[in-house]
Amino acid sequence: MSRTTPTSPENTNPANTVARDSSPAAAGRRVRPAGHAVLRRGRGSLLVHRRAVLVAVVLAVLLAAAVVVYLCVGESFVSPVEVVNVLLGRPSPDQLVVGTLRLPRLVVGLLAGLAFGVAGALVQTVARNPLASPDVIGVTHGAGAATVAAMSFGLVSYTALPYVSIAGGLAAALLVYVFAWRRGLHASRFVLVGIGVSVALGSLTQLFLTKGDFIVAQQAKVWLTGSLNSRGYDQAAPLATVLLLAVPAALWAARAQRGASFDDDTAVALGIRLDRVRLGLTALGIVLASVATGATGPVDFVALLAPQIARRLTRTAHIPLLSSALTGALVVVVADLLARRLFSPVELPVGVLTAAVGAPYLMWLIARTRSRSGGTTP
Amino acid sequence: MSRTSRLTARALTLAYEDRTVVDGLDLEIPDGRVTVIVGPNACGKSTLLRALGRLLKPRSGTVLLDGTELARIPGRQIARTVGVLPQSPTPPDGITVADLVARGRQPHQKWWQQWSEADERAVAEALEHTGTADLADRPVDELSGGQRQRVWIAMALAQETDLLLLDEPTTYLDIAHQVEVLDLVRRLNHGRGRTVVAVLHDLNQAARYADHLIAMKAGRIVAEGPPRDIVTAELVHEVFGLTSVIVPDPVTGSPLVVPGVPWQPAAAD
Repeated sequence: MSRTTPTSPENTNPANTVARDSSPAAAGRRVRPAGHAVLRRGRGSLLVHRRAVLVAVVLAVLLAAAVVVYLCVGESFVSPVEVVNVLLGRPSPDQLVVGTLRLPRLVVGLLAGLAFGVAGALVQTVARNPLASPDVIGVTHGAGAATVAAMSFGLVSYTALPYVSIAGGLAAALLVYVFAWRRGLHASRFVLVGIGVSVALGSLTQLFLTKGDFIVAQQAKVWLTGSLNSRGYDQAAPLATVLLLAVPAALWAARAQRGASFDDDTAVALGIRLDRVRLGLTALGIVLASVATGATGPVDFVALLAPQIARRLTRTAHIPLLSSALTGALVVVVADLLARRLFSPVELPVGVLTAAVGAPYLMWLIARTRSRSGGTTP
Repeated sequence: MSRTSRLTARALTLAYEDRTVVDGLDLEIPDGRVTVIVGPNACGKSTLLRALGRLLKPRSGTVLLDGTELARIPGRQIARTVGVLPQSPTPPDGITVADLVARGRQPHQKWWQQWSEADERAVAEALEHTGTADLADRPVDELSGGQRQRVWIAMALAQETDLLLLDEPTTYLDIAHQVEVLDLVRRLNHGRGRTVVAVLHDLNQAARYADHLIAMKAGRIVAEGPPRDIVTAELVHEVFGLTSVIVPDPVTGSPLVVPGVPWQPAAAD
């Protein structure tokens, strides 16, 4: 049978229709997502965001420079040449100062920065909200409550504290996840439940602090600010292991993330298994944030700041993971360098510095979000 | 007339929380045609479309694609056969037109095939087809409503699916843009014999553009068939509770619904 509506509009201009439907004109045109380069080999092809690559390279160079400066500067100045010698494992008269005193602390800070950066990027992607961070979804406060409890009541030895902290962070995040889950994970419910659980755990932490021994409470307070003082390879080891294991997961996440930046309906229409993607991204973010918090205590605002800085630099539609990681590391290393030297010989906890930068940023972000109509997406 | 149907619903019951919207509905979407679903507000037409596009899981009953229950087919595989444009899709912040349209290729891509020749061709064609090629490098946020709607359709087109479901694609558009989008929908069907299902608000537009019209009321199908056969004053009264006169559309000859009782001051109160 012919068309039921023989006089329907498309028939009024058949020539036009035919021209639009055949595609030789379109086929010759080079179309690709803005700012990307394509690498093709055989049937395989990779899409590379040029600016994101450039930003990552620049951040890596800055980070390397910050590392050298960090190791040069201190109670005594060490020349960059000697620093490089120590880093390359060559004999050096400054082996003790650089290799034994400064390097372990730097390594912890750098690794924690990488982990916080990635964790923040993942959580902000899932929550679709630039205000979200591991602090918001309970990780930090869970880790804090568990650690302070363990310290105050003398439950475990000092070296086991990172593991207590990790367990606390994971438990709190799991709690948030369970409460927020209702036939799927809705972004705003996730954040709201996270804030509720965080506040409850924060109060619990205060309770532990007042119940515990005075001296221990002082130590716990310093830990709660986030500090690299007297941190070393004991704390770096679990962190490095987890980061290494997280690399393949992060490669998956970097692609899965792109799909998660749509609204739910559109994502499902594109064949994305949204619940699975969100669960995977959140789990990875929670593990990284917990482990990093276990090593340094909650270094505030790094996970919040780094992804947004990185995204503004790369101008990608999603939050770039690698650049977030590098930005996180750079922020922690520079902040700790300042924390060590600003009021020398007093060494501030690095968390004080990141908070000093992060708090105004957060206020600006909230002000900007409120002035813009509609929702916010990362 | 071919009576085949790749997308069908059997005893479909749809509900939000405790409210049942569609109850025990059977449906066959005719292949290669433009099917338009109409009905008054809250009659369940959008809900039905969402279920056909597996955006909503049925409370009971099934939606079958090529004879297989949707719930049993992997999402990516469905996404290569059925494209869905939801009612108010949200683009990622700051994304450009070409980027957004390229996301439509997601169900065809693998981690080692991120941008194949086929992807490039499909996106170029989709942009061309919808007249959005000139907008390719513009941020989606900056577009007008009509342009934006065409870009979303382009994304669904780049998905290269045989079936395309559109949920109120003309909402919030002025009359010129409505016609533009609906003409595009007809072209999509005409060019490739794509099966198109759209939910529309406007009965006259539905009658004008549909091959197959489905009139719904209170979660059930009141009438379906070619608009000429089914659009009558009785149907309009039954579905919308509106007294009307049906005249032929002066341009296309399709049924045109003209509300039938003039307003009178005395009747107002």
